[in-house]
Parts: sequence; structure tokens; C-alpha cells
Amino acid sequence: MVGPTVSLSGLRRADGSASYKCPVTGYDVLGAVNAPVELPARKDALRPEDATIEVFVKPGNTTAGVGEGYVESVLRSVLGSIVLGREKGFPRRGVVITLAIIGGEAVERGDSYLTILPALLHASLLALISAAVPLSMTFATTLLAVTPSGQIVQDPPVEDVANAVSLHVLAFSSKGHLLLNESQGRFDFETWESVREQAASICQGANPRGSDGDTAMDDESKDGTLDNFIREAMEDHLHRVYSWKIESN
Amino acid sequence: MATPTASAVPAAPPSLSLPPSQFARLQPHAYLLAHLSPPPASNQPSIRANGRAPAQFRVTSANSGSLTHTNGSAVVRVGDTTAVCGVRAEILHTDDIASWSVSQASSGNTHKRRRLGDLGGKPTEESDDTYADAQDDEDRAHIQDLNLLVPNLSLSTGCAPGFTPGAPPSSLAQSLSHQILSLLHTSRLVRADDLRIWYQPPNLGREDLERHNEDEAMDVDAGPGAAGLSKPREIKAFWVLYIDVMIISLAGNPFDAAWASVLAALRDTKLPKAWWDIDNETILCSDDVSQARKLSLRGFPIASSFCVFDADAAAAYRAVVIPKADEPKRRGFKQTWILADPDGYEEGLSQERACLVVDKESNGQGKTVIVKMEKHGGWIIDTEDLRQLVSMSAQRWDEMKQILEQC
Amino acid sequence: MSREANLSVAEREFVLEALRQGQRLDGRQADQYRPLSISFGEEYGHVKLQLGKTSLVVRISAEVTKPRDERPFDGLFNINVELSAMGSPAWENGRSNDAEAYVANVVDRVVRHSNALDTESLCIVQGVSCWSIRADVHVLDFDGNLTDAVCIAVMTGLQHFRRPDAVVRDGQVIVYGIDERVPVALNITHKPLSVTFNAFNEGKNLILDASLKEELASEGELVIGINNGGEVCFLSKFAGAPVDAHDIVEKSNVALEKVKEINARIDKVLLADLSRRGKKGMMEESRAENDREIDSRTTTVV
Repeated sequence: MVGPTVSLSGLRRADGSASYKCPVTGYDVLGAVNAPVELPARKDALRPEDATIEVFVKPGNTTAGVGEGYVESVLRSVLGSIVLGREKGFPRRGVVITLAIIGGEAVERGDSYLTILPALLHASLLALISAAVPLSMTFATTLLAVTPSGQIVQDPPVEDVANAVSLHVLAFSSKGHLLLNESQGRFDFETWESVREQAASICQGANPRGSDGDTAMDDESKDGTLDNFIREAMEDHLHRVYSWKIESN
Repeated sequence: MATPTASAVPAAPPSLSLPPSQFARLQPHAYLLAHLSPPPASNQPSIRANGRAPAQFRVTSANSGSLTHTNGSAVVRVGDTTAVCGVRAEILHTDDIASWSVSQASSGNTHKRRRLGDLGGKPTEESDDTYADAQDDEDRAHIQDLNLLVPNLSLSTGCAPGFTPGAPPSSLAQSLSHQILSLLHTSRLVRADDLRIWYQPPNLGREDLERHNEDEAMDVDAGPGAAGLSKPREIKAFWVLYIDVMIISLAGNPFDAAWASVLAALRDTKLPKAWWDIDNETILCSDDVSQARKLSLRGFPIASSFCVFDADAAAAYRAVVIPKADEPKRRGFKQTWILADPDGYEEGLSQERACLVVDKESNGQGKTVIVKMEKHGGWIIDTEDLRQLVSMSAQRWDEMKQILEQC
Repeated sequence: MSREANLSVAEREFVLEALRQGQRLDGRQADQYRPLSISFGEEYGHVKLQLGKTSLVVRISAEVTKPRDERPFDGLFNINVELSAMGSPAWENGRSNDAEAYVANVVDRVVRHSNALDTESLCIVQGVSCWSIRADVHVLDFDGNLTDAVCIAVMTGLQHFRRPDAVVRDGQVIVYGIDERVPVALNITHKPLSVTFNAFNEGKNLILDASLKEELASEGELVIGINNGGEVCFLSKFAGAPVDAHDIVEKSNVALEKVKEINARIDKVLLADLSRRGKKGMMEESRAENDREIDSRTTTVV
């Protein structure tokens, strides 16, 4: 399987940016982060001790509608739980995340937004890292579909999504917490448990936690996991940014 | 932050004591925490500031058919959150649908999924006759592609202090509208067959036509094949259901109330008998109430929302204290509470939310089916909690079904 | 924050003084564009354009809709310019600003109102169905002269885009997927582009393709929309310092030269991309030939 491709800090004007391209689903998302920025006095009066996170999703070839409003609220809530909005310089300021879907099919009105959610989440996470916004942890996320025959498919193509009995997006933090679960369709709890197990192994490695109390994962089992992928993207980025320092040592 | 113990409040010197209502405003987190974790000596149960147990939902009441000028309507009140829903049906002529006369040469790689009849029968796991799979796909094609269901939710002025007149739809309202639309689609609650208006070309004589029209009104499940030997009948128009939800009072958890009102309103909805009149080349509706028929909905999905209250208010922003997921939770002292059906006060104190929509097969006798399950905003809820939430939602289903069926 | 931060007095003076001496900040000539690079995405009509440090993506899409009642023979064409905080922190998400309205207006006039895209060719069945073509502009980085960049990208996109083939059979419109039949290019009647000049020092200096700093120090703008044939389809000297009428005539000639140059560039990249696709496409086409047999059976749906 061809993995996703990412590149960080490609844009000049934004404080941080990342491009995330998933070859399986065809989605190409460009994320830009401006933080911390001044926000005109608005709803941030509600939580003056914290940063206000604003997410804006710009669809590729349609006008933004209620679906974008929904996916923005999900992103805001997930990213809000990892952004350290009380660090110095952030309270009362804004973290503005702009995501443009520049490749892949448009999500039509009323269609499920789950298919593009992982790409949006990864793009915004990497853009936040690129903008050096303090985060408590990172995460990795994946889309799984349960087919009518009960199989669980990772990153399903468009036809499989249309025929799927249920769709699930799960995000796991780098510390192993379940950060996000969005499931829709018709399924029972046992199905979801096996979906969770598979998602955890895709994101974090083949050793689902709690199996025998042994949580120490060797590096091999972590190879090829999404967690590792995010980590490598970060390491590459840091190497580039600090190349002047590394070379002088 | 004040020491979050209940005993601190009465122990304070009289000159500094505060009435509970002011304490609740000044130190909301400590106030709720003091309620939830009473001192062990007092032998009091853990209770929320609003007097409910953590797993207790608010008192719910429902009333349907309240609005006169709609095809179906309902008012659902969950505690102080009240949602009014009105369903208005309008006729959409197929000539007015731009994509109606358009077909894709093949279904691969295209936007619209209009493949009627070419579906290999998917294995039907459910013997339940309400879920015929081939029918399902056709339904999705019509309802979703033609936008036959148009829900819109408005958070009206004055429903809560933050809503001012003349403002554009808030992101909360947009998000709720999408959630309702998306749930209507994924739960396949409404059958496309109920929304179709057919025309049977007459080739059997006048009486037969008369009879056919009647048949259709009676037998909603008659597929295109049922017309049998005569000319194939054709769809001339669709009913479009405009589902308007208005939250007239918002005190937390708008989604549960909004969805319950949509469900109750759709159950109440009656569509007049409509047919294509060949002489006038138009759709005619009967004004005879006895000929109007109700929608036959699939299932009875019920939404239940939860929020998580964390004892350590600082946990959300102090990076160092976030424990790894596999670290055993500290025993003895309960750190977090999952609160069912949160009110506005509790929502303001929590970041993490969960929402479940469940249904039970065979009218409540069969197993519980999850239609939607989501959580975000934190890292506390995981498998075991979700398992509990599913069973709580299943209990809530029984309760809500009774309430909605009696309204 | 809804405007770009102003230049300091010293910076502004530096720009102006340099221009008085015939110099620009980046060493360009007065009538010289910044380096222009155009590339294409995988889909038809997906254009990535970079003009100096201004960069943007344009996506063209098509769908079948009902034509407007008053113009039953015409298809629809819209250019959608929405500036987000990605391009510049000065632009606020979800709120339109002056720059957005200005760019959208100029591009609309240069490309759409000049009928560069023949909308009548988009008609499928009179009064019943037509193609609706939509151009979405995503500005990734803003460093001045957005108008010209958007014009070039939209025009390139329109020439690159291929809409699915559609056939009318017994009142049924049958749309063939891109992999089933060779998709159809849009009917482009002429190729107008906008060329923007900025005025400095009371109209004495007129320079082409200003960068953001130059734009901020500028005293006025002259926009000329012109096609290869030298026909002016848009001319705007909106406000600001007065410009000599002779200069406008002279600059029109410069604009014509530039438009010819850029259009030649566009033709070149289009040709290169299409021949690259052609190699791949030949293989797919021969496969599609076989598929068509099967497809003809499924066309009677609905």
C-alpha cells in the first residue's frame, strides 16, 4: 500500500503549514496555521484564560455549507484537547487553522464527512507542529469501513464507502488515549470493539494495549504505523529546521 | 482555586459564607465537584448540582400535532431545553430536477449513485423485513441525491442569553443541522417509496386506472414490479420534506431534544394522496383526510448525549499530568464522572462529549443496534465507558419510546 | 486585523526613491513580470500557479444543472474567489474583505463578461439541462498582484479542463465518465488576461506586477484586460494618483506584448501536460473501448 505523503512549512505567509496527500482516497489537504494572532473581542470572553481555536474548512470545488460547519466543530473540539492554549502568549489570542481541500472529490451535501476527516486532522496537526504551537501530545487517525460481509477495510475507496454498513473514524493520542471516535451506520458494540482494535494497531502498532499488561513495544512492531509516520514527518521537519545547528556540532 | 471539598463551604466563617447560588457562579467547577464527591463520612450519594444522579436523564415530555399548518409537528421538552419541529411537504416535479433526466453511463467513479436494479443482492444479515437491502440503495440514491429531506435547525433569539437577533446561523446551529441531516441519511429513517408520486399510464381502461391509483395509496410497499403486466409506471414527482427545528429554549444538550422532535414530527406526518392528472398535466392532491397516509419509518433511533466532568480542572492544560492511557487509574478516589444529558451549566464545565444514537430491532425485543457513536474533546472515555454508555442509551431508548409513542 | 500591516515611512520612502532612480526592490525592470511557473494536478482543470512569491491553486469543476429561466440556451459559469487566512494573516476566515471583492470583480469582468468561455456551448437540452462550470480559487500565498495571477490561473484552468461527454438519447441525458469516453474540452472564444500596473510618484512611475511591498506603497492602479488580438475588454483606472492618457495607450501596448508572451507560455505548458497525459491516456482509451459494450446496457436506468 502506498502511504500518504506530507510536507511541512510549504507556505510563506502563514505561520505554519502542512500538506497532506492520501493516494488511496485522493484527498489532498493543505493546512495553514496562524498563531497566536489577535482576535477582535468576540466569543473568547467565555474563556479568557485560554486560547480560542478557530477552524475553517474550505472545500475544493463547492461553497462551504452546513457539513463544513459540523466538521469544523469536530476539529475544533479534538484540536482543542491537545493545544496548550494557556502557555505564555496564547490566552486571549487565537489559533486560526485554515484547511483547503485542493485535491479529491467534493463531499456532497448530506454526505458523510467521515471520509475526509482523517486527512483534515493530520493536516491540521502537522500544520500546528510547523507553526510551533505548544501541544500536549500528537495523534494518529484512520478511517475504517465495515463491509456488508463483515470485513473491516482501512481507507476504503469511494465505492466501498457507498456500500459500507458502517464507517468509523478513530484517533489515538501518542499516549494511547482514544481522542476521537466518530461512527455511523448500523453496527453493534462487538463490531466496534474489533474496529477499535484494528484502528489501534494501524495507528500505534500491532500490540493493542491491555492484552497482557505488557505495553513495551519494540521498535519493529511500530514500523509502518501511523504514529510512526507522524513522528518521522516531525523528525524530518526538525532536521531541516535545525540543520544549521546540527551541522555545526 | 479554592480547595474543592464540600466541607469547606459550611466551615467558612459566617462573614465570608456565600449562598450556594453565588458559589455556583464564582466557583462552578468546585461547586459541581463538591456535589459529586461528598465527604465519605456523610454517607451521601454522589449527586449532580441539579439534583440528578450521574446517569439520570432529565424529565422529558413530548406532544405531537401541535402546529396546524404543517404536515406533521412535535414539541419535545427535555428539562429546560425545548425543541419544536414542523414538517412541511412540498411537491417537487421531476421536470424541475436538472439531474433527473441525466444518467451516468456507468456507476464507477461518479458522483451520483443512480443504479437501480443492477445491485447484486447483498447478503441480508437481518431477517427483519424492514431492511431490504436493494431497496435501501435505491432509497439512498433518491433521498440523498435529490435532497428530499431538508432539515434546518435554528437557535432562535432568546433561547439562551448568547443569541442575538439578526445574527447569521451560528456554527452550533449549522453543525446540528448537519448532524440531523446526516443521521436521517445514515439511519434511513424515511423510505423513498413514501415520497414518490407515481403515474400509471392507462392501457387497461378507465376503471382499472382508478383501481390502480387506489392500490398504490393502500399498498405503499408495491415496488415498480407490482404494476405487473401493464406499461411500466413512472415517477412524476416527489414529496420534499422540509423539516424545520426551532430550539425555543436552550439549557444544554440541544441535539437529543432536536432529534427527538424530528422523530416525533415525522411519526406524526401525514401526506395527502397525490397523483398525476393526465388531463391537466399536473399533480393533484386529495383533500380527503381519510386518504392521507402516514410515513412508514424504519426503526426508532433515539439519541443520548453525555459529557465528562474531570475532578482536576487543570488536567486539560497541564501537559505533564496527562497519564498514559494504559496506566491504571488511581483507585479509591474517583477522578471523572460521565454525566448523562448535561444541562448548560455542566456543558460549560466539560470539554469531552459523547453522543450515541441507538435503535432496537423488532420493535424493542431484538438486540441493540448502534446507529451513531461519537466522542471527542478529551481522552477519558474509552472502550469500557462506551460499553456502559451503550447500555445506558439502550435503557433511555425504552423510556423515550414510551414517551414518544404516547404523544 | 483585516488589513495588511502598513509599510513604515522609511520603507515607503525607500521604495519610492528607488523607483525615482529607476530601480525596483527586486531588481526587475519596470515592465517585467516575476518568474511565472504553472503546473497541473492529476485532475483536469487543477492548476498550480506561482508568480514570484504569490501562489495559488485553481480547480475547475463541472456539473449538470438546470439553466436559468431567462437564458435557456446558456450554461452557467462562475468564478469563486474566497480569500482565507492561508494566503495572508490579514484576511479573516469566513468574512469577505475589500481585496476579495476587488479581485473577484476584476477577474469576473476580464474572463466571464468578455465571454472567454462560450456559455452557449454548455447547453445540453434547451431550458432543461446545461453544464455549470465552476472555478474555485485557493490563494496559498499572497505577495502582491493577485488579479493577474488569478486571471492567468483561471484561463489556464479553463483551457486545461475537460468535461465529461454527454449525449442526449430519447430525452435522456447520458453522461459518460472520463474513463469511458474522451472528455470534451471547453469552447474558449478568446484568451483575455489582465495586466496590472501600479502608479508611483504622482503617476510618473508605472510598474508592472507589483509585489506586496510595492502595492502597499503604490498610489494607484491601472488594470488592462486584453487578449491576443489586441482587443481591450477591461480597463480600469479606479482611483489614486492621476495617470497621463498617453501612458495608458503606451501601457496598453506593453500589456498586449505581455499577454501574448504569457499566453504562449500557457500554450506550451498545456501542450506538454496533454502529451504527457496522451501517453497514459492511449492505454486507458483502448481499455475503455471494451468497457463501452457493457456500459450501453446500463444506460437505460431511471
